[in-house]
Amino acid sequence: MADIITKTPIWEKLGFRKASGVSEAGWGHTALAAIVSLIYFFPVLVIIITSFKLQTDALAVPAKLFPTSLFGLLPESMTFKPTLENFTSVFSRAFTNGGAVENTGFDRFFFNSLFIAGTSVLLALVIGTLAAFGFSRYPLKGNDTYLFIILTTRMLPAVVVIIPVMLMLRVVGLSGSYLGIILLYTAFNLPFTIWMMKSFFDELSPDVEDAARIDGSSDRRVFFKICLPQVLAGLAATFVFGIILTWNEFLFALLLSSVDTRTVPVAMSQAVSGGGIGVLWGLLAAIETLFLIPVFLVTFFMQNQLLRGVTFGTVKR
Amino acid sequence: MCRSACVGLRAKGNNATADFLGMLHMTTTALPPPPTAPDAPAFLTPALDNWRGAIAAALVLSVIAIAALPAAAAFWTVGALVALVAATFVVNAFRRHYYGGLLVAPAIAMLFVMNIFPLLWSLGLSFFAYQSNRQTMKFVGLHNYIQALTSDIKAPENWANLQTTAVFVVCTVAAQMLVGFLLALLFAKQFPLRRYLLILVLTPMMLSVVAVGVFYTYYYDPTFGLVSQVVNRMCGCQYVLMSNRAGAIGGIVFADAWMWSPFVMLLVLAGLVSVPKYLYEAASIDRVSSWRSFWTITFPYIRGLLMLALLFRTIEAFKLADLVILLTKGGNGTMTISYHVLRIAQEQNKTSEGAALSYLLLFVVIVLTNLYLYVANRRSQEA
Amino acid sequence: MSTIELRKLTKAFGSFVAVRDADLSVSAGEVVCLLGPSGCGKTTMLRMIAGLERATAGDVIIGGKRMNELPADQRNIAMVFQFYALYPALTVGQNIAMPLHYEKLSPADSSARVKRVADILHLTTVLDRLPGQISEGEKQRVAVARAIVRDPNCFLFDEPLSRLDVELRHTMRSQIKEVLQGLSKATVIVTHDQLEALTMADRIAIMRDGSIEQVSTPHGVFARPANVFVASFIGTPQMNLFEADLKASAGGTADVTFGGAPLRLQTDPAVGRLAPASKVTIGVRPRGLTPVSLAAPDTITTAAELIEPMGAETLIHVRGPNKSDLRVVVPREKRVAIGEALHLRCDPRQTHVFDAQGQAVRT
Repeated sequence: MADIITKTPIWEKLGFRKASGVSEAGWGHTALAAIVSLIYFFPVLVIIITSFKLQTDALAVPAKLFPTSLFGLLPESMTFKPTLENFTSVFSRAFTNGGAVENTGFDRFFFNSLFIAGTSVLLALVIGTLAAFGFSRYPLKGNDTYLFIILTTRMLPAVVVIIPVMLMLRVVGLSGSYLGIILLYTAFNLPFTIWMMKSFFDELSPDVEDAARIDGSSDRRVFFKICLPQVLAGLAATFVFGIILTWNEFLFALLLSSVDTRTVPVAMSQAVSGGGIGVLWGLLAAIETLFLIPVFLVTFFMQNQLLRGVTFGTVKR
Repeated sequence: MCRSACVGLRAKGNNATADFLGMLHMTTTALPPPPTAPDAPAFLTPALDNWRGAIAAALVLSVIAIAALPAAAAFWTVGALVALVAATFVVNAFRRHYYGGLLVAPAIAMLFVMNIFPLLWSLGLSFFAYQSNRQTMKFVGLHNYIQALTSDIKAPENWANLQTTAVFVVCTVAAQMLVGFLLALLFAKQFPLRRYLLILVLTPMMLSVVAVGVFYTYYYDPTFGLVSQVVNRMCGCQYVLMSNRAGAIGGIVFADAWMWSPFVMLLVLAGLVSVPKYLYEAASIDRVSSWRSFWTITFPYIRGLLMLALLFRTIEAFKLADLVILLTKGGNGTMTISYHVLRIAQEQNKTSEGAALSYLLLFVVIVLTNLYLYVANRRSQEA
Repeated sequence: MSTIELRKLTKAFGSFVAVRDADLSVSAGEVVCLLGPSGCGKTTMLRMIAGLERATAGDVIIGGKRMNELPADQRNIAMVFQFYALYPALTVGQNIAMPLHYEKLSPADSSARVKRVADILHLTTVLDRLPGQISEGEKQRVAVARAIVRDPNCFLFDEPLSRLDVELRHTMRSQIKEVLQGLSKATVIVTHDQLEALTMADRIAIMRDGSIEQVSTPHGVFARPANVFVASFIGTPQMNLFEADLKASAGGTADVTFGGAPLRLQTDPAVGRLAPASKVTIGVRPRGLTPVSLAAPDTITTAAELIEPMGAETLIHVRGPNKSDLRVVVPREKRVAIGEALHLRCDPRQTHVFDAQGQAVRT
């Protein structure tokens, strides 16, 4: 019997799920895809490489791209000696910005990014999930019109909204505070949270809920005990996508944050303002590398959910 | 297209179910009938759930407050009145067991406060002469709009910036669609290590736009930039990429397209994997050529998503400001309309002028979006 | 020449063997049904014939040529898919014309061919509609039309009628049969519905767990089941199967003990070859049991438990010796009360004896 059992494809052994509707290709295709991917990834790779370089190596012409000479295979001019100095100095060192010494304070900025993104996405998730359930189960008159308007608010040019928001926050006295920017980000995250969660709620079988109601469950109990546990994956996906968007947001943060509430992207943009030789490229690269890691990991493990995110939940896997 | 495709139709039956359950309670178990909803109060009754009356009163009072009180006090008064109207809605919903409205209310309130209200505010501001660093405020009607469109100094500048934006939109969207589409075709197969290679391609999308801006200035730097080194080696001269308009626009478009092509790729990929496998099997049995099977099977499946990607990316490209700020500060003829508005409103403190201009911009975006939706709808009806 | 021949065909997915050593040959003009419960490997087998799956071992020979390595588009076959696989963006007419593009016909020839099959399958009125705008029955006919529009080596049908309602299934069954009779091609139909198989097929291959259990005519699988599985799978109501101990057997008469009670059966003379005192399984169709008025050595004494009128006949569930459940079909006129004792005599032509391995004992 054993002789008729064929070789299992290697990716199935590695636990890869077969995608539906796609044809299979072999290692030849992998090679092609690898070349394309690496070319596409190259600019990111350079950032990562730069984060291990000293300033002199970062500014070297021609560029030094290899951390080792591969046992003398590569000329000395193309290799550099990797160092971890940039990473250690991210949190400890002050560096000059156009002459004046400025405390980078990137520990604070990392905390700000984490706190602001986390809080606003969670808040949007709570409010948006309730609203999505409302839209899904208690259809209003002209339901799709409301939903469409909600979606379009996401597409307004930032400048149209940002000026009055700034004025408003100034009047209320929330300008430059955590609360102001968190509220703005919550509103910014709400539209796609509602859309995504609605698509998840729409998918649930109504029979289970009806059965629960016939068994005497209240609407609240139906929501918490029946519906919510079924959309946990959806909640996770929405959370992840919200984090990715909010984590990297720049324009709102630039205009709304003060020195204390600055997020990492804003701080980075200010650290580079001089340009040219004065900028500590290695340090910036180290910051960005550290800043990329959380989103990278999250995306890697939630790759399948990402598809629903980019399509506002309209494409089902 | 977006509207009809995205909106689920499933929940329609639930009200009927609830009614049916109510009847069931009445007939089978001897429970008291569920409380019947009271009628809506008359317009002038001072009841807590009389939302029509509350809206009317709030409108009158807020107009008076805006006219009579200083800005901060007027703001709080209007805020309190809005809260009152909201409260009447909530009470109304509770009394009539209108849970849908209650669930949706916080989200609507949030969007109202942070999106719709500021929009209306800036609409109002655009009719005034107001600078955020001065206290004076004077009603000038359409003056700001007229200035922006016809003034000898401002109109040509705005027009030029709009043209620059159009160039950016066309170039970057075209590049993103093309690259994204090709990448999607590459990844629409199952092959070893696919998951790991895909994440490499997706990484640019996960970078913060600041990192892209910062490191593209690094790559484009005339002395030690990687791109400059390659270009100089090839042409044998000292070529400074960002020194002329074409180079600067090309540089920004390249960075933007590099960053957002993975987004288009994801959308197209979603379409490609949703094609049922048996259609391809049927095509291979019917001996359909791969070119034909692409156009008759694959393309109809991804057409909607391609349109969606086009819409999303066009709107986003219209908003392009951050990369311009980071890469050129608007120099060398790369000033986009979005950045121009920001600069007027933020750096020059000409708030109401900026508001008027941003409304003109919004108008353009809305017209384009509707044009697009009109075309997409007509296409889908033809098909 | 339109024939299909499978030799020792095997398909394994990892450690799971979907099809094992299948041998089957279909001659020109013959319709063979692959019948079996779901998950028995019949669809996998069809897909291997089509070239959509690659055989792990064994040969697929179509029209006398070994085609193991050829992809589907080079095998010149036509297939009707379970979900019809109509191209959603094309009209019905364009769908039917799809296989003709390969033959590079002129537009006039091509539309004439489409017109001809549309006439056969009564589709002329819907040629300009999209697949989403026609009924299930019409979709099914379009799928058949697309298969017969050209001149392939053979026809393959994957559960062609499973998505239709009962009434439509009846009409489509006869329509497909009619169309196939005019074509004289080797045809393989996969189905899990025995009625479909019995009515449409010239021969039926019954599969279980990846193996072909029996290949025979519809009459053959019903009247001479090769083993216990085929016996229980074919025929409604299901055949009664009960275990008994063989006491003695000679000359077509066997004495057995069934649940402690002796029973004398008229059987195939081959039963005499079995060792005495061996375990056997006796199979009798419900219509092969006749209630008689008095107990005799050749009757089973039972009591009626449940009565299901089926129209022309009545199905009675009875409790036999050793708490066994048996099914009896009696004419409508025969009135039986619940609890009434019934003495059942077995019809020798509908009595089958299976040995301890479940194989039929027959000359």
